[in-house]
Amino acid sequence: MPTFVYMTRCDGCGHCVDICPSDIMHIDETYRRAFNLEPNMCWECYACVKSCPQNAIDVRGYADFAPLGHSVRVLREEKKATVSWKIRFRDGREKDFVSPIRTTAWGSIPSPGELDAPEAGALRNQELAHEPQSLHIEGGLPALSPGQLKRGAA
Amino acid sequence: MGLFTRRKTVSIDADILIIGGGMAGCGATYEARYWGRDLKIVCVEKANIERSGAVAQGLYAINCYMGMQWGENQPEDHVRYARNDLMGLVREDLGYDIARHVDGTVHKFEEWGLPIMRNPETGRYLREGKWQIMIHGESYKPIVAEAARKAATEVYNRIMVTHLLTDRTRPDRVAGAVGFNVRTGDFYVFRAKAVIVSAGGASHIFKPRAAGEGMGRTWYAPWSSASAYALPILVGAKMMQMENRIVLTRFKDGYGPVGAYFLHLKTYTQNAYGEDYEPKWFAVLRETIGDYVDKHPVPTCLRNHAFLEEVKAGRGPIRMVTKEAFQDPHKETVGWENFLGMTIGQAVVWASQNIDPKHTNPELTTSEPYVMGSHATCSGAWASGPSDYAPAEYQWGYNRMMTVEGLFGAGDTIGGTAHKFSSGSFTEGRIAAKAAVNYVLERKREQPQVSEAECNDLKKAIFKPLETYTVGRNEIVAGTVSPSYLLPLHGLQRLEKIMDEYVGGIGSHYTTNEPLLTRGLELLKMLKEDLELLGAENLHQLQRAWELQHRMLTSEAVTQHTLYREETRWPGYYYRADHPKLDDANWHCFTLSRYDRHSGSWQLEKAPVYHIVD
Amino acid sequence: MFTDNPFAGLAAWVSSGAMQAFVIVMIAFVVLGTLHDMRHKKSSTYFFDNWRVAKRRGTRPVGGGDMAALALKTAAVDVLTSGEFCNLRRRIAHLLGMYGFILYAIATVVMVFGYPHAPTPVVLPVLWHLGALMVCVGGYWFWFFLRVDVAAEGHSRLRVVRADLFVLALLANATLALLWSWQQQANNGWSTAFLYLYVISAVVLFGSVPWSKFSHMFYKPAAAFQKRVENACGSRSNLPAAADRPELFGSVRRTARHY
Repeated sequence: MPTFVYMTRCDGCGHCVDICPSDIMHIDETYRRAFNLEPNMCWECYACVKSCPQNAIDVRGYADFAPLGHSVRVLREEKKATVSWKIRFRDGREKDFVSPIRTTAWGSIPSPGELDAPEAGALRNQELAHEPQSLHIEGGLPALSPGQLKRGAA
Repeated sequence: MGLFTRRKTVSIDADILIIGGGMAGCGATYEARYWGRDLKIVCVEKANIERSGAVAQGLYAINCYMGMQWGENQPEDHVRYARNDLMGLVREDLGYDIARHVDGTVHKFEEWGLPIMRNPETGRYLREGKWQIMIHGESYKPIVAEAARKAATEVYNRIMVTHLLTDRTRPDRVAGAVGFNVRTGDFYVFRAKAVIVSAGGASHIFKPRAAGEGMGRTWYAPWSSASAYALPILVGAKMMQMENRIVLTRFKDGYGPVGAYFLHLKTYTQNAYGEDYEPKWFAVLRETIGDYVDKHPVPTCLRNHAFLEEVKAGRGPIRMVTKEAFQDPHKETVGWENFLGMTIGQAVVWASQNIDPKHTNPELTTSEPYVMGSHATCSGAWASGPSDYAPAEYQWGYNRMMTVEGLFGAGDTIGGTAHKFSSGSFTEGRIAAKAAVNYVLERKREQPQVSEAECNDLKKAIFKPLETYTVGRNEIVAGTVSPSYLLPLHGLQRLEKIMDEYVGGIGSHYTTNEPLLTRGLELLKMLKEDLELLGAENLHQLQRAWELQHRMLTSEAVTQHTLYREETRWPGYYYRADHPKLDDANWHCFTLSRYDRHSGSWQLEKAPVYHIVD
Repeated sequence: MFTDNPFAGLAAWVSSGAMQAFVIVMIAFVVLGTLHDMRHKKSSTYFFDNWRVAKRRGTRPVGGGDMAALALKTAAVDVLTSGEFCNLRRRIAHLLGMYGFILYAIATVVMVFGYPHAPTPVVLPVLWHLGALMVCVGGYWFWFFLRVDVAAEGHSRLRVVRADLFVLALLANATLALLWSWQQQANNGWSTAFLYLYVISAVVLFGSVPWSKFSHMFYKPAAAFQKRVENACGSRSNLPAAADRPELFGSVRRTARHY
């Protein structure tokens, strides 16, 4: 179901152009507002829909197989760390959903470059960063022994 | 380019260059910084890492988590599971390697802020199935991208990498990459001491079920344009199992996921007459695949096979029985949120057709084939394994390094590592990055030599479609039909039709044979020649042109491998009608290929499979 | 220069009647152009159809008093402070251009109709020049740095497409107004050239209303009002309601330009 942009809502800010993973949200040359340039390469990922500060982008199901009159709209509220959905069926039935999207503050991931440097020699072993603690197990990183893999039937 | 724009050449030196900022690329970027504190870590992405890759819309489950801390699974268990699902043929050393690290990755995700659902009784992660845990993953990618941005020296968005560069003095050593800025049209030359390819696998190489607007609703992201394969193939890296394409049984039209339905909601399938159709087809399968039919759980391809046979017999549509499960409000919520967090398009389809699973059992379908390396399939590059236990034949020094020196891979790029999914791909990125850091430091940060002549040649080649279009446009009045150039969409549709008709797409019931494959290669050859005449009207079309080039080369690889393997090992994924049985005596092995870009020829060979001995 | 009424100087060889007629024709261009655009595009039909659908889908009635309050809020926030812009720099550039144009236009009308010959109160030419300057500052800033096709899409700053017709004509008119005023005293070839160009730019600016974005100044307030009414009546254009959760974290929204 490709995206489309409401004329009266878009103010041409460009967030959708920046975010689209398919490079299909572009700026119309007559109105200087956003539009979906290539709906047959639109995955309906809703990245642009969620990124639009004016809620100016909506989705109409792919014409190949989606009858008209439906609506699936989203409100992603970063500050509340929630995403809310409203589904409206062609026959008017509605369903609403709210989900959390993050449990920590945006921008709060510590840079791996600022963590304690790995010990000398750690570079040569099999453990990745934060291991073995991050595995939450006793006994260290599991491994096979060299002889455990045998050539299979062929 | 406009009247007043000038194309610049931007040269960037990096210690480690990570191509593709998806799950694997973000994992690689993060880990590279941890081990290489003062190294220059550069990640380059053709879109925007905030939402790029297959996890753009989010995920509702992490499908690769052992749960070692609760004794739920051990890494060997996962290897056996993947081996069974792929009818015996996976790189068990690589798979174990991912499985032993992946729990740590998932715990980090939770620490970073990914909401993981918990079982209210046990306090453990809420399992969807044996390997899957449930998450509220709408922002999965933004969270992971934040980690990568914190780690990278620089993240370059909107730069499409089109070719790898090799060392001027040693063609078997990678030296960097070239590409272009999709916004400004500038030419980019990256020089790097190690390169990690973590780009997308292949969607849109077989004709999709929906051919109009609906073309966009592929199961795997439409922007996965096979760069993961084309980039290494072109520099002579060996590829494996490119014939092992995946077909998925999913909800009709939207290709919405069924995992949560089967595992958590406990729904099941039935044919149009309300019958369970699978057992009878499994019984018949014994004739062609022997004891593999006894594997538990039933391999993905075999479930597809039963589905296909039932539909062919005229007893479709096949439906998912949801009416019972959806009476439970919790399950109903999960059923819908499953889509909203992962494949919103399915919710749109159902809303548009008034399908409420509480009252209707929705239709299922089998998809067109895809080629990728992180799901119930494992096409990709042939890579060196972990040094602590991989057999000698599987290692040549650095973990996840391909057969081209200094060239590493992760995610869909790497073959043989089925069922790693998002968490496993991120983990593989981490594995490749640590190895790459080792590689760079052990070589005392030796810088490979890039050939200026090669860069100039590539620059001409990269921007040629713009020139072709501009010049050729003078010939016609208007419209899309020109005798002198091919628009990227034309080429794509022709490619998809060839693959569909000759290499086992939906239009040929996933069936092919040697005469079809041979003819397919002829048509692919002509298409490849015609791609010299691709015409791009603007930079967006130029991106599409190079995506097509990558898909083209990958399709060649797929066809060559499909021709080489003379058996039908994965009924339900594809069938060799001329070799309808599984043939362990001759084909319990991997198929490897190597492409020579100068002659355009392919060398195919077999490689042994090593199994964990129980 | 800033305290001189350029039209008074012009009155030496162009009659005030001709100037006034010209201004009336420009206003007529705008009115007729907008009306023609609306009729041709049937935009008012669409607007009222949409209004009815939203009302029908609404869950709460919106009475006359509420409507009036919403209209006031639209005027106060969306119109007077260009409140709909989410990007601060674009908002400021728009405010400069908008108020600059209003000052300049009103000052033009007052000077041409009110003070064709008599000495002009200094405040009028000052406001006229200030308005034109504000248009130039906001407009050139927008043109070279803020236009989304440059900032987000990477197009050249010198690229011109149809969407640029309004802002370019407006910038031309304001720039030429200042240039003409500057050379006006000299009464040489430059001042005549600038005058002719100034007049042409006015004709282009006001005459191109059916093809440019000029009429957005009428459509946008209407759309903003309609959006407020939709939110008030509960239809919210099918959007989900804001989540009933507290705000926990800051936002990460970055400005466009990720390449």
